[in-house]
Amino acid sequence: MEIFLIIMLIFLIISSIAVAFIENLFSVVIVFMVYSLIMAILWEQLNAPDLAITEAAVGAGVTTVLFIITLRKMRGNKNV
Amino acid sequence: MSSVILKTVGRIIVPFMQVFGIYVVLFGHISPGGGFAGGTILGASFIMTKLAYGNDYCKKKFKFQKLLTIATISILFYGIIKGYSFITGGSHIDSPSLPLGHPGNILSGAYIVPLNIAVGIIVTITIYFFYSFFDEGEV
Repeated sequence: MEIFLIIMLIFLIISSIAVAFIENLFSVVIVFMVYSLIMAILWEQLNAPDLAITEAAVGAGVTTVLFIITLRKMRGNKNV
Repeated sequence: MSSVILKTVGRIIVPFMQVFGIYVVLFGHISPGGGFAGGTILGASFIMTKLAYGNDYCKKKFKFQKLLTIATISILFYGIIKGYSFITGGSHIDSPSLPLGHPGNILSGAYIVPLNIAVGIIVTITIYFFYSFFDEGEV
């Protein structure tokens, strides 16, 4: 389990740095969703399944939908 | 956001999301989850309803005034029940209270189940309002 945790932490760091450096806004939203999902897996590994459910529902579900709607408003209902 | 795949899959997946959300709310005191997590899942199912069935259908089904009335009633219920349990909790007052039940059953943990249901209703309606305000500026 140690190796699994280390791999997940490396992916967490990579995705959180990539959010700051990617230029396409839609890709940023998707990478941010990946960050939330990895964080949910890590909460479950840290014996906090309650937080894992909340993180998967709020961070990966509702927040992503709200970001995508905002992106669609910014682009004038053309793409996405 | 009006593709055929989204509409077809959304109509199939909505009941399963609602059943899972109600399960998380009702079993909040004996397994992981609770009012907030289950309410968020239920709110996500409402968002999926709005994506799959369209705005006009949801405007007819979920009226703003009705949803606001339900949320206000549940927050008043939460305040009354929680205040009652605070006052009578450790003050040696022999007032009637809910039975504690057998540990492990659904109807155990006296006040937690009604409080979880109230929190779940409030969070569901709030998440739905968030989506509606972001999408078109009104419910």
